[in-house]
Amino acid sequence: MGLVDWARLRSPWVLHFNTGACNGCDIEVVAALTPRYDVERFGIRLVGSPRHADILIVTGPVTKQVEKRLKRVYEQMPEPKFVMAVGNCCASSGAFRNCYNVYPGLDNVIPVDVYVMGCPPKPEAIINGVVKLLEKLKKLKGGAS
Amino acid sequence: MEGEAVIQELIDVLRTLLFPGFLFFVILGLFFEWIDRKFYAKLQNRVGPLYTGPWGLLQPLADFVKLMAKEDIVPEGAIKPIFSSVPVFALALSLFAALFLPVCGPQGIVSFPGDVIVLAVVLTLLVILVFLGGLSPASRYPEVGAERSVLQLLGYEIPLVASILGATAMTVGLGGSLSIEGIVNAQRDWWSILGFQALGFAIFLLAAQAELERVPFDIPEAETEIVAGWTTEYSGKKLALLRLARDVELAFLCGLGATLFLGGPWPGPLVPGLGGAIVSTIIFVIKSIVVLLLLTVIRAAMSRLRIDQMVNFAWKYLVPLSIFQLLLAVVVAPLMIHLLTL
Repeated sequence: MGLVDWARLRSPWVLHFNTGACNGCDIEVVAALTPRYDVERFGIRLVGSPRHADILIVTGPVTKQVEKRLKRVYEQMPEPKFVMAVGNCCASSGAFRNCYNVYPGLDNVIPVDVYVMGCPPKPEAIINGVVKLLEKLKKLKGGAS
Repeated sequence: MEGEAVIQELIDVLRTLLFPGFLFFVILGLFFEWIDRKFYAKLQNRVGPLYTGPWGLLQPLADFVKLMAKEDIVPEGAIKPIFSSVPVFALALSLFAALFLPVCGPQGIVSFPGDVIVLAVVLTLLVILVFLGGLSPASRYPEVGAERSVLQLLGYEIPLVASILGATAMTVGLGGSLSIEGIVNAQRDWWSILGFQALGFAIFLLAAQAELERVPFDIPEAETEIVAGWTTEYSGKKLALLRLARDVELAFLCGLGATLFLGGPWPGPLVPGLGGAIVSTIIFVIKSIVVLLLLTVIRAAMSRLRIDQMVNFAWKYLVPLSIFQLLLAVVVAPLMIHLLTL
């Protein structure tokens, strides 16, 4: 299992999903992928298809409208898969708390591994979130999610 | 006598499996992906893969191993036999094509008169596999990607074949030949890119870029429009094999460019004995890397075309140019040589 764990830690491919964010967090996620931060150093790549992804990065408050689609995208990802909630809205519905059409947090819909707080979080914080996720993965060993 | 034949057979099998054969090209493919990503990053003012092995050298291997260990999903409506066999066939075809390349001498592992035509057929078959891989999962985005890949094939196939056939014109003075070996030996003293083939080399580069579905011709897998194009539904082992097949194809096409236009392993075979094979291999790999760097520059310098722009460009400019180049190489050049030597 040593080789597989080694490979998994070095090749996290991320998929970005917007559940209705104001675009603040999305811009920060995209900024984290620009040459300035160059996450390809760690093997991180942004992929287009959920079938290719290891980590689902969710931004924005989870609305009732998007719930079905979000679950479907999550189910389309192959195991082992991880979820990162980016921004206050995603982690705890933020400014939209107690709205009739918004879930209190992403963990009410799909299991979440890492929360990155901030409105919006800095790119450094998002990269730090991925590093925390990899540390968690290291402890799991054998890749069970 | 019997024993010698068995040993010869064993050496042939080892040659096919290990050195200038399968294992060599798999490693070369992963290495070329690393060079491609690293140089691409350099052109964008970043560093690229860095922490996986020394200078990130093992990044393509890490991606491959990770994908091999992931869950393998087959969509419900998929035509399973086709969907599952496309990655295997793609890898097998790319490796088969690589056997024709003259890596460690003027002759590939497989070599016969007319093998240039076989290579042209294999390059088209690879696109047919893309088409099948896109249609079999019965999903919307792969279907669009598959249609685009075939439409694109209509644009670049004629220039690709014309540029490959144009390279055979080098052998005209030597009695004519349609084999890789003939083309390589004809370039012993004078590489074909230095003569009438410079235009052919440029056309070959563009067509190879389209064959590999890289920017500006990554229309069939345009991730900003159609998710991931024809590879959308592939995951786990199948995606790993597809990516490996792409890497081997990249190494093969770079090697083919070096073989047809940059003189292949020459002047390596001039060194006698085993040293000749080693020098040839090093020269061949260096020339292939030169072709790879040119392809990477094209990828970094351009953005994706629309499918109609691509086909328009191909039929209005690339096809006429390639026919002009073919005439130049097959008719004008031999005529001039004939007149000069009169």
